[in-house]
Amino acid sequence: MTAGPDCYRAARTGGLAPALESLTAALLPGALPYGPAGHAVTTATVAASATHAWFDGVRHDREPEGERTPAVAAVPGGPVLILRRAAPTAVGRPSAVPHHAWLSGLAWLRLGLSEALRLSCMDYLGGRRVGATATLLHQQLVKGTVAEAVAVHLEAHAVLRALDGEASGAAERVHRLITGADRELVRLLGASGYVTGGVGQVADASELLADAYCRQEPPC
Amino acid sequence: MLSPGDASLHRLRGQMREWGADFRDRALELDRDPRTIRRCLDLPAVRFLAAMGVPRRYRRPELIDGHAFDGATAVERVVVMEELARADVGMLVSAPGPLLAGVLVQVTGDERQREWFYERVLDRPLWTCFALTEPDHGSDAASLRTSLTRRPDGGAVLRGAKRYVGNAVRAQVAAVFGRTGASMLGIGAALVETSTPGFHAEVIDTIGLRGACLSAVRLDDVEVPAGMVLGQHLSPSRRGVWAFTRTFNLLRPGVAAIALGIARGAYEYLLASRRLWTRGEQHHLDRLRRDLDGTRALVLSAAEAVDAEPGEGHLASAAKLRAVRLAEHATDLACALLGPGARLDHPLLDKMVRDARGMEFVEGTSNMQRLTIFHSVLSGRLDRSLSIRRSRAAAPSRR
Ligand SMILES: Cc1cc2nc3c(=O)[nH]c(=O)nc-3n(C[C@H](O)[C@H](O)[C@H](O)COP(=O)(O)OP(=O)(O)OC[C@H]3O[C@@H](n4cnc5c(N)ncnc54)[C@H](O)[C@@H]3O)c2cc1C
Repeated sequence: MTAGPDCYRAARTGGLAPALESLTAALLPGALPYGPAGHAVTTATVAASATHAWFDGVRHDREPEGERTPAVAAVPGGPVLILRRAAPTAVGRPSAVPHHAWLSGLAWLRLGLSEALRLSCMDYLGGRRVGATATLLHQQLVKGTVAEAVAVHLEAHAVLRALDGEASGAAERVHRLITGADRELVRLLGASGYVTGGVGQVADASELLADAYCRQEPPC
Repeated sequence: MLSPGDASLHRLRGQMREWGADFRDRALELDRDPRTIRRCLDLPAVRFLAAMGVPRRYRRPELIDGHAFDGATAVERVVVMEELARADVGMLVSAPGPLLAGVLVQVTGDERQREWFYERVLDRPLWTCFALTEPDHGSDAASLRTSLTRRPDGGAVLRGAKRYVGNAVRAQVAAVFGRTGASMLGIGAALVETSTPGFHAEVIDTIGLRGACLSAVRLDDVEVPAGMVLGQHLSPSRRGVWAFTRTFNLLRPGVAAIALGIARGAYEYLLASRRLWTRGEQHHLDRLRRDLDGTRALVLSAAEAVDAEPGEGHLASAAKLRAVRLAEHATDLACALLGPGARLDHPLLDKMVRDARGMEFVEGTSNMQRLTIFHSVLSGRLDRSLSIRRSRAAAPSRR
């Protein structure tokens, strides 16, 4: 199955919105995907063209009158909508795409974003001087942080490649690891990673994806 | 001096907790529109913050339950900051007041400058800002490039750019650091009215801590009047890096307390949102409560340490390092325990998550705190101060 790796590449090079569209088109064409508590993080194009709703692994009719858009995140790559709807009242049909398949697709997507974040960090740190000569990239503490994040990325690749068809616990764990790596990487951007509309906000939107779709385990 | 166990500090804490309710009520509105603070200037907590840090000789301090508090010590400040940040950090950081600029004036100002500054603070709500960070120099502030060129009449001219300066867009008075010469000693600071021609500030929109109105500042030949360059009565070594390091040391326990307050806010939000917890969840909650207590003990001892010796910053660095992590952990745990979509369904919690992340950068990142702590180990200062603390603890109490 190439949906995961494809959206990973789309995320890494194009950003969140194109990657979400790529993943939805590949896994859930025509669907508006909602997480277990009725949240969707998606694009306007997906929302406008969806003919039905996918509710945590179950296919339902759309109920446009019950859908709300509480927030829009303007991030590089295009705006992302956050939608909310109540749990469906009618019984739906099981979808061919279960919860864990969507979750592992999203984990691929978030991995692509996290690697793009790492590249942004390298650019930023390489251009930032400490004293007269060294750059931030040469500081041991900085090198250590980048290396830790890369180790997580490598583990995520290994797990996701082996994951096809497995239950969701492993994918949820990858989501947690990626969130941790993103947090550390965003710190490396200094206050520039805290500015709206920049790469720090992509990391925040990526966390919102996990928040919407994962049945979370508490952080350690 | 008050000690953390002092009963009067409990009164201060209780009062701040009560006043904090106003902050919580306005938290989300201020997050959407930071100008909200202008409609809140009569709230008791805002009035307290507006004069916090002005020493007693310039005013009659606030009486709380019969006790006078001026917020001039780090110990008092950590109590105030923790309680108000627990309610809402956005309101706290958007409030007018002397804060960083005030401590800098206390550390480097001469008598006339202090009088001028405190008069301005007491006259009407005064927003101030402390402009150190530059677009190319954040953690490495000692490499700053803005020029502070002295003139023969005693005044000076500021030219350059600052970035991420809290409240600069709304400040009437700014403390600005600039370079007076090429060497490490060639750094100084000056007080300027932001209405001076050439002072331009615009907001930088941030993910959280939006009340702080982080700003980009351009200084196009801003005239500093004679008498407004700080530290002229001090030796040159005490005007630049020494001055901002000492100022940060004195306020860093307060920054740690803000992070601790956010963590407590998240913990209490959790407790208020659900009654029943599984055993596993209860275990996480118990552990968080113990973490909160432990970090509070560290924050209070950091405040005591800088009140006793403002040059000793390692405890304050340790407190900030630990409290910032705790704020992130507590807010994340709250989201995890409230289940899928917690951030999307609980706007206040979502705000706490976003605010907690910003604390990393306020007054030095975690890596800079780690380096400070390590230098104190390497130089022997840490072990010297630990042995002093041990012998103080062993000495018979005089109270
Ligand atoms: C909410 C908020 C309020 C602020 N208020 C003010 C204010 O009022 N006035 C003001 O002047 N500034 C203010 N700042 C700016 C703040 O002081 C800087 O963001 C901070 O000092 C870090 O600088 P930077 O953002 O340029 O990051 P950088 O210095 O570019 O750091 C990037 C990364 O490199 C790491 N790093 C840097 N140097 C080293 C090193 N030697 N070894 C290892 N790692 C290193 C850092 O830890 C960070 O992870 C504020 C920032 C925020 C977010």
